[in-house]
Amino acid sequence: MPDWKNIVARRLDLLSLPPGEKADVIAEVAAHLEETFCEMRRCGFQEEDAFRRTLGQAGNWKSVQREILFAKSGGPHMGTRLRQLWAPGLLGMALSTAVLFGFLKFGFHPRIVYWNGPKNILVYVPWLLSLPVLGAIAACFSSREGGSRRTVLLASVFPALAFAVAILLMFPIGMVIERIIGIPIDFIQVATVILTEGIGWILVPAVALLVGGLLAQFLFCRRPPSQSTALS
Amino acid sequence: MIAPGIKRGTAELAVLSVLQDAPLHGYELARRIEQQTNGALRFTLAALYPMLYRMEQQRWIRGSWETSANGRRRRCYRLTPEGKKKLAPLRREWAELFRALERLTKVAHA
Repeated sequence: MPDWKNIVARRLDLLSLPPGEKADVIAEVAAHLEETFCEMRRCGFQEEDAFRRTLGQAGNWKSVQREILFAKSGGPHMGTRLRQLWAPGLLGMALSTAVLFGFLKFGFHPRIVYWNGPKNILVYVPWLLSLPVLGAIAACFSSREGGSRRTVLLASVFPALAFAVAILLMFPIGMVIERIIGIPIDFIQVATVILTEGIGWILVPAVALLVGGLLAQFLFCRRPPSQSTALS
Repeated sequence: MIAPGIKRGTAELAVLSVLQDAPLHGYELARRIEQQTNGALRFTLAALYPMLYRMEQQRWIRGSWETSANGRRRRCYRLTPEGKKKLAPLRREWAELFRALERLTKVAHA
């Protein structure tokens, strides 16, 4: 007898539902296929043929996954993405910006780390210390909405990603403006600025946010599968 | 052969009607409907379970895990009081539609 649960779990791997709910769906669909397979065997089909026909009856797994997700979330996929990624990510970004301005307002200054390179790196220690907490908050919100592990971690590092996009857009735009007004551009200097700003304002904060997101996933965001509850 | 659009409309009525007799799990439910309609109504996985989940969210049916006589665990669906209430007007609506179509075709052939 094929391991239908494993087969279905692999095919519905990207079904972004809360873990317990997903386990229930997989178990139910697997049970359906198992019944179909057994019925075919009773009708005289060879095991290999019955297996192939049973899987064939399921049709397009992407469609199965999408329809189940629509039915469970009560709307199209965009709604789910909004709740699992964009809303927690934007919340994390708003909180991190508010905390940064709060620290600046109350006189906590960034610490400058000196190194042998051409530029110094600015490390804002109090703000960095707050980021794991903010990453954890975003991760918990995303996980509560049924985000997959990847989505949860993406939501937790969202502020750093958004800042990276902003910096990457800001420099080319700035260069265009400088070219228009006739100031000569030193590309090496621009690249150095992107690198040093990137380390202090993107890379290190992203690591801090990711640490929070990972910790939250391990400590707070796991749920018992609802099927186990039903079994007891 | 019945067109997919009409099938979708009748699927809820079919599920509620079959569950009125007894609680059933997804596979058995699909099989009963197929047998009782001589194969005219058939469900794919992509159609059956999303529909059952939607009906469950609307509280017309309720699913719970049960162990069958052969020791297999299956999620059985049963009709809720809301589902029973929904069934009567649904039946009336479809009966009216069929009567209307019948009258129409008779007039058309007269």
